[in-house]
Amino acid sequence: MQLKNPKQLATLQKKYKAAEERFPKKVLICCGPGCLASGAQKISDKFKQVLKDKRIKGFSVEALKETGCHGFCEQGPLVIIEPDGTFYTRVKTKDVEEIIEMSVRKGETIDRLLYSPNGDGQRIQRYHDIDFYRHQDRIALANLGKISQCNIEEYIALGGYQALAKVISSMKPDQIIDEITESGLRGRGGAGFAAGRKWATCRKIESDVRYVICNGDEGDPGAFMDRAIMEGDPHAILEGMVIAAFAVGSSQGYIYVREEYPLAVVNLQKAIEQAEEMGLLGDNILGSDFSFKIRISRGAGAFVCGESSALMKSVAGEVGEPRAKYIRSVVKGLHDQPTVLNNVETLATVPVIINKGADWFKKIGTKKNTGTKAFSLVGKVRNTGLIEVAMGTTLRKIIYDIGGGIIDDRPFKAVQTGGPSGGCLPESQLDLPVDFDSLTEAGSMMGSGGMIVMDDKTCMVDVARYFLGFLVNESCGKCVPCREGLYQLHALTVRVCEGRATEADLEKMEKLSNQVIIGSLCGLGKSGPNPLLSTMKYFREEYLAHIRDKRCPAGVCRELITYEINDKCTGCMACIAVCATHAITGKKGEIHVLNQAKCTKCGACYAVCKHDSVVVS
Amino acid sequence: MNHDLSKLPGIFDRYPKHQQSLIAVLQDIQKEYQFLPCEALEETARVLDVPLSKVFSVSTFYNAFSLHPRGEKVLRVCVGTTCHIRGAAQIQEQLESQLNIKAGETTPDLKFTIETVGCVGACAKAPVVIVNERYYGPVKVSDYKKLLRGK
Amino acid sequence: MVNLTINGKVVQAEEGEVLLSVIRREKIDVPALCHHEAVEAFGACRLCVVEITRQEWDGWCDYVTSCLYPASDGLIVNTHAAKVNDLRKTIVDLFLARHPKCPEIIELAAEYGVYSTTYQTVVDGDNCILCGLCTRICDRMGFHAISTVGRGHGKEVSPPLHKAPPDCTGCLACAQNCPTSFIEYSAAKGFLTIWDKKFELLKCSGCGKETITKVFAEHLCQERKIPFEYFQICDECHRKQLAATMGEITSWDREAAS
Repeated sequence: MQLKNPKQLATLQKKYKAAEERFPKKVLICCGPGCLASGAQKISDKFKQVLKDKRIKGFSVEALKETGCHGFCEQGPLVIIEPDGTFYTRVKTKDVEEIIEMSVRKGETIDRLLYSPNGDGQRIQRYHDIDFYRHQDRIALANLGKISQCNIEEYIALGGYQALAKVISSMKPDQIIDEITESGLRGRGGAGFAAGRKWATCRKIESDVRYVICNGDEGDPGAFMDRAIMEGDPHAILEGMVIAAFAVGSSQGYIYVREEYPLAVVNLQKAIEQAEEMGLLGDNILGSDFSFKIRISRGAGAFVCGESSALMKSVAGEVGEPRAKYIRSVVKGLHDQPTVLNNVETLATVPVIINKGADWFKKIGTKKNTGTKAFSLVGKVRNTGLIEVAMGTTLRKIIYDIGGGIIDDRPFKAVQTGGPSGGCLPESQLDLPVDFDSLTEAGSMMGSGGMIVMDDKTCMVDVARYFLGFLVNESCGKCVPCREGLYQLHALTVRVCEGRATEADLEKMEKLSNQVIIGSLCGLGKSGPNPLLSTMKYFREEYLAHIRDKRCPAGVCRELITYEINDKCTGCMACIAVCATHAITGKKGEIHVLNQAKCTKCGACYAVCKHDSVVVS
Repeated sequence: MNHDLSKLPGIFDRYPKHQQSLIAVLQDIQKEYQFLPCEALEETARVLDVPLSKVFSVSTFYNAFSLHPRGEKVLRVCVGTTCHIRGAAQIQEQLESQLNIKAGETTPDLKFTIETVGCVGACAKAPVVIVNERYYGPVKVSDYKKLLRGK
Repeated sequence: MVNLTINGKVVQAEEGEVLLSVIRREKIDVPALCHHEAVEAFGACRLCVVEITRQEWDGWCDYVTSCLYPASDGLIVNTHAAKVNDLRKTIVDLFLARHPKCPEIIELAAEYGVYSTTYQTVVDGDNCILCGLCTRICDRMGFHAISTVGRGHGKEVSPPLHKAPPDCTGCLACAQNCPTSFIEYSAAKGFLTIWDKKFELLKCSGCGKETITKVFAEHLCQERKIPFEYFQICDECHRKQLAATMGEITSWDREAAS
């Protein structure tokens, strides 16, 4: 059905809302990236299969939802029973019948499946009461885990596309831009450029054609917020894009999705079709004379395409080499036309700002960093998952209150933000408020929002080497400082890891890093040395240990460590099975022997030993 | 090597015939054949009216494309940061030594290919290995048998 | 027209004209390896970097590639600021690590006082500095016969599929504009070979000297509407022919000879 005016949308919302309220009891199965990897699809299939032959009063299979990422991936697969929010963790297919009988039919709780924060038997029933959720503030992720993935009816029932109706019926483009400017919304993709200013610049340029592009090329390793939104709440992105297009005067948009996210492509495509069918996208949106079309452009595996000019080349079907941006892409972007490029989270936030107003938004966060920011909290932290907090929340609160601290109570060592463009912050920075400016000042970066927690078993030199290696592979190879400079920086960190470096090398690394930053053409090179510089700044001792003492304190760098088998060995033969060079010998039940001459220090034995009998020294 | 190119026209029909469709067309070809056969590149250049050199440039620039046939089982080891600090390198090495190939290579019998991938956004399950389309995680070094099952 | 200051001197430039063109007009020596007037500026070698500032920037400076940065009123440019020289030195040092045997790079590095690289020498480093001039000029010629292949440190210039390029006409524009003379070709016995592709050469009907490839001549005939006969005679013989038909010049020639 094509909606002819905003009023029809309001009527439709009432209808969908009533349909939603028919079955107050709902079963939500999280089908976010983490839960899918843990087998959520099988659980959902089992629910459908069991429910097919059952009749339960006040419940129907329609009230079973496959939702986007609920957030607490660590505990997945997750099943949530609404309206009370009963939170079942680590659900297995064999639990499904019991959940249906006990929780859905009888309204009882299955204690065994509830979350236990300390593993001491104390259990929490509702997810609202769990620390991981209690300290969060959700705007961009608000619908995730609540509605079925790309179901336009549920999105509309929750008030979706009302912001679009509002701008079409009662706002002028300049008013929209003013509202967004006033809200202080800064681009959530990395650098934090003011979204309103970008839109205003684009609108001002005289041109017949303007483009709006959504950047869904979430390339920072360790970040998956945008993936979760694209898969779980694609309509929020579409609504944000249509509003942006209406504000700047564009009739064609693109969503650039990285190829590693096939489900995001499928769900966005479905959402586009649903929205077009209802007249919320395409020609004459909501009966107005405004038309806007969106096409999906799939990335093909190139980190550099997160850079705006490279991304636009890629959308145009070319090699993703960035160009110098002395003329910004908002002026001369895709096909040399003015182009607004915003990332997924930014666009998903736009409808909320239009609905609730800039003043409401400004009250959240800090003065120069308004609103909230989504993060993927991962690494050696106890509660890994997807979170959203007010800007200015401290790292400590995120890692300890929400994240529950470090796995196995090991010491915290560093937190990495901003991906390969960011840096590693040490314990002394834990009280840093998380916002664009504070992170940059501390030598890191907001980036798109990956937050990787590291413990004492992580070697910071190895981390720097890892990021440089990543960038050497991902550099487009166009300009010399990035192509050759990062290559040399990588070679130098390898020397440190292998215990071959001197203190003079450290100086050389620092100097070259600064030259790469000044000299590189695009953001990839200009920020590439950050992980190296930040680790050299905060963890210099660790570099010196590698250089002076030929020692890797974290026990990671293989040239500087040896593995040994101690007398705790039970002779289980697990290590023998994984040793590729047959360096370990021994019989079942007897202490095994490691031949150092044959050992390649791959760490496989250490990883499989369940008896702490393989030790690093 | 000659390949059955009969699927190509169907792929070309999905897109407008110009440079902007190039990456999408190559992706569909890669999906169909598991790699980009030379003949298909030449045909793509002709149909989209894009110079062959540009087609080659694009197909070697992006990670998603492979110019060589890949194995029946493609093992993609995620080497994102989270997977790295949780031991992805050891898993990669274990698979490499078990199959006697390096990442990016295919076994001579065309049964297995090992690839690395930047980050698949399943960090909560790190370290992650994707076998064809299926995600496994957290993977332990000793899980290689499970991953290679069917060898 | 806009007024800007380069190394302390006020100069005029067209609004939007790139700095490098103004700098060269002022006869200031700024190195650039990936730049050619015939093609769009690229900004890859970064050697032409300069320091810019403005009165209102309050002492803050930026470092930009002059081949791409547009001139504007009030801009203050320093082509040889200390930081700029440092950066150029690092770039030639990096080049030297990658292309240790390249004569052009060795010479340039020596100009900046770099006689051996500070960094790790790349073992299989060849003399292609990946400036992309060859591929861009080939595109400009309208052939699109070669392109960059791969990315990052392993990027190279190659014909498609690493085979003789179907679209190459043997015009030699790539080889003759290569700043490090890396692109090889050979001409012998009526044939030219470049990129592993063999071309028949035209022979001058006057002196018998080999001229351009037949394919390139045919291309020019078709695209530029030049009669094929034009290419059947070499430039020198053209001139001689011309001279023979112009009485005044011939008489002058006779006088000079006597």
